[in-house]
Amino acid sequence: MPEQLPFTALLNRAFAGPVTAALNALHLYPKYPAAPISNPVAMQILVVLLLVVAFMLLRLRLSVDHPGGMQHMAESTHEFFSGMGRELIGHDYERFLPYITALGIYILACCLIGLVPAFESPTATPAVPLGCAIATFVYYNFHGVKHHGAGYAKQFMGPVLFLAPLVFLIEVVSHLARVLSLTVRLFANMFAGEMVTLAFFSLIPLGVPVIFMGLHIGVALIQTYIFVLLTCVYLGAAVSHEH
Amino acid sequence: MRKLLFMLTTLLLAAPAFAQPGGAAAPAGGWNWSFAALGLGFAVGLAALGQSKVAAAVAEGMARNPSARPGIQLALFLGLAFIESLVLFIWVMIFLRAS
Repeated sequence: MPEQLPFTALLNRAFAGPVTAALNALHLYPKYPAAPISNPVAMQILVVLLLVVAFMLLRLRLSVDHPGGMQHMAESTHEFFSGMGRELIGHDYERFLPYITALGIYILACCLIGLVPAFESPTATPAVPLGCAIATFVYYNFHGVKHHGAGYAKQFMGPVLFLAPLVFLIEVVSHLARVLSLTVRLFANMFAGEMVTLAFFSLIPLGVPVIFMGLHIGVALIQTYIFVLLTCVYLGAAVSHEH
Repeated sequence: MRKLLFMLTTLLLAAPAFAQPGGAAAPAGGWNWSFAALGLGFAVGLAALGQSKVAAAVAEGMARNPSARPGIQLALFLGLAFIESLVLFIWVMIFLRAS
């Protein structure tokens, strides 16, 4: 049996049978059939549940005349992402705001949940940032194609026609490198934060690791901001109008 | 000055006297970690140089125009985070391969 967090053990006790059966139906055979849900997956499910509960609470507390604390926080979050979208994407940014806001809040919650004892950051495994990066890649390419149609490929051709094959190759590699860099940037920062806390914990178990956990909070905020910033930049580049 | 240089050269040439008779053993865990530490030291040093340029520019900018502090602070954090991420890229590669 693999090493499981308490929440993962709870999920596996409750849902191991159906999940393993569903995976087997897709010809995927988990290594431990009694524990098919791994720690990162369980943590992501927990983050989603917590966010849904938080947003339901927020919806119940919305009021025009007496805005509460949660409403202020939600409005300032909306202002923040809205400003970023307007600045980087241009005039038609409202369409993308739900994805950008959801992505930002989700990644921040995933990074911060690792600081609570008995939970670990799902973003400290390579798969979760890769998922976010692939989602962003699919999203901005989809909107690029939807906006430009077949002319989306013109962005990849470069300025001069006879250089188009070379430039196309370079552009494709550069777009794939975006996925890689988004993934590795988020994963490496979260993983390194964990490692550094563990390293100092093994030296001085009392007091000093708290400083590094504080640093980890700062790094989580900055890396979430960078991820969302780059998503907006790629979106802006994909749907840009060359007037 | 020349005497000092001669003395230092002689001392350096005498260094092999410290070698153990059994021959130098490979470092524990193989050479991978030694090369990795060397490469990472290089990466961190160069990144520190880059980050110091960013910090210096930010300090000068804030000194010249204190009212522009929020924008300059934002540029500071962005710049530092991107440079740090490059070091972390190479650290992740080494960590995943050289264990």
